[in-house]
Amino acid sequence: MPAEALLPLTARAPGEVLFHRGAEPVTAGRFLAEAAALAARLPVEGPVLNFCADRYLALLGFAAALMRGQVTLLSADRSAPRLADIARLHGARYALSDTDVALPLPVLRPEATPGAEAPNPLIPAGAVAAIAFTSGSTGEPQPHAKPWGALVAGARAAAARFAVAPGTSIVGTIPAQHMYGFETTLMLPLQGVGAGHAGPVFYPSDIAEALAALPAPRLLVTTPLQLRALLGTGIALPPLAAVISATAPLAESLAAEAEAAFGVPVLEIYGATEAGSVASRRTVEGEAWRPYPGVAFDIGAQAAQAIVPGLPAPVPLADVLEDLDEGRFRLLGRRGDMVKLAGKRASLAGLTRILTTLPGVEDGVFLAPPDLDGNPQARLAAAVVAPGLTAAAVVAALRYRVEHAFLPRPLLLLPELPRDAVGKLRREDLLRLARRG
Amino acid sequence: MTTTLSLEAELARLIVDALHLETAPEEIDPEAPLFGEGLGLDSIDALEIALAVSKRYGFQLRSDDERNHRIFGSLRALSAHIETHRTG
Repeated sequence: MPAEALLPLTARAPGEVLFHRGAEPVTAGRFLAEAAALAARLPVEGPVLNFCADRYLALLGFAAALMRGQVTLLSADRSAPRLADIARLHGARYALSDTDVALPLPVLRPEATPGAEAPNPLIPAGAVAAIAFTSGSTGEPQPHAKPWGALVAGARAAAARFAVAPGTSIVGTIPAQHMYGFETTLMLPLQGVGAGHAGPVFYPSDIAEALAALPAPRLLVTTPLQLRALLGTGIALPPLAAVISATAPLAESLAAEAEAAFGVPVLEIYGATEAGSVASRRTVEGEAWRPYPGVAFDIGAQAAQAIVPGLPAPVPLADVLEDLDEGRFRLLGRRGDMVKLAGKRASLAGLTRILTTLPGVEDGVFLAPPDLDGNPQARLAAAVVAPGLTAAAVVAALRYRVEHAFLPRPLLLLPELPRDAVGKLRREDLLRLARRG
Repeated sequence: MTTTLSLEAELARLIVDALHLETAPEEIDPEAPLFGEGLGLDSIDALEIALAVSKRYGFQLRSDDERNHRIFGSLRALSAHIETHRTG
């Protein structure tokens, strides 16, 4: 779509239910009024760092910022050091949050207050609406700009792909600021179909209660870890229309178990923070992924990229892909040294660089165990040379520099690393070290 | 009091086993935060603990408004919470 095309803030009719706050349905009309009321109270200048846990407040803050022409910075990591990093590096002027976090910028608590009937503003497709972040190889947050047109196209594609029925209640377990959570639980109701659930929803009992409190049909948007916990606790869920999973590979056995337990298709999304959701599959039907409507893939032997509607340039992917028939593809594995845990990606080289620059650390390396992709409990390991430091002290220092999911478990303190004559670490030796964990 | 102490010890063992921690159960400071600073657990661990607790003690942990996992504040807090709610 042309960058100058104008797309309304919401594609929903004023009387349609856009969200459920507890038992209270919120129509698109009321949402626009509340967003306009909040927009009028926002500071003059953005960008705004929005890390509201309540999905409705997260959406309201995002919409209010859009109305004021301000960019929203999305951080799925709500730890104060990470938020402060993003604020500093990307010029956040203020933050919107419903929890208390001490940050070196004004933190405002958004409220949903009734306002006068408000228009549905038109936003240029090319305008950057949000910036999402990944961890770069240096450990600093890397920005990925999301033009409004790309967000709208993604939401419409998801609504079409999953044939979400009108009136569907959407319960999500992923933070609204994670790209997958943002697309499926904020943008999908805003631009596609269905009504979001404000949350919080994290544990199996939260999921069961949230679903039970909402009208059918019900769509559960979650992760392999939470599916495993749901099945493990054996908690009963009300009838579902479908389950969607992403953030980590979903084992076919787990998908089959979930389909049997819930009696519905379990669908999986393939995506990345940089590209957004770009393909999907029904996991039990095999390994072929179908690109989202409008998304194309350029697949080479060593690298692949996604061509995504609304994004200015093709997006390199962190996985190796293989072309199948009819535009479908298969995932062959992670590229290079990228690892993914808890829905976040990092490069082992980047983590190693952070580790080896810590005071008192002379040498060190991050290691991925061989079962990292298949075992939901798998963690990274690290081998470190740090005379005079304890393993706990090194981990404590790392905690301020890397996302917690990547903290090594275990961290082995060694007198020296097994380097060869030219100073390289041999892969076999590293694997042996990793296995000791 | 004896009950509380033994539940705490049992829970420490449960956490160490469920999360494959290298820490010995008796080394966990009952007053230290389980997440972030203290034991350094994260949200993946929270789900694992919820699963283990539901299997062992027959009740479900939930978020409610405790977005910062207040009941996970420390081993002692979690233990007290389980003592109140356990069915198994």
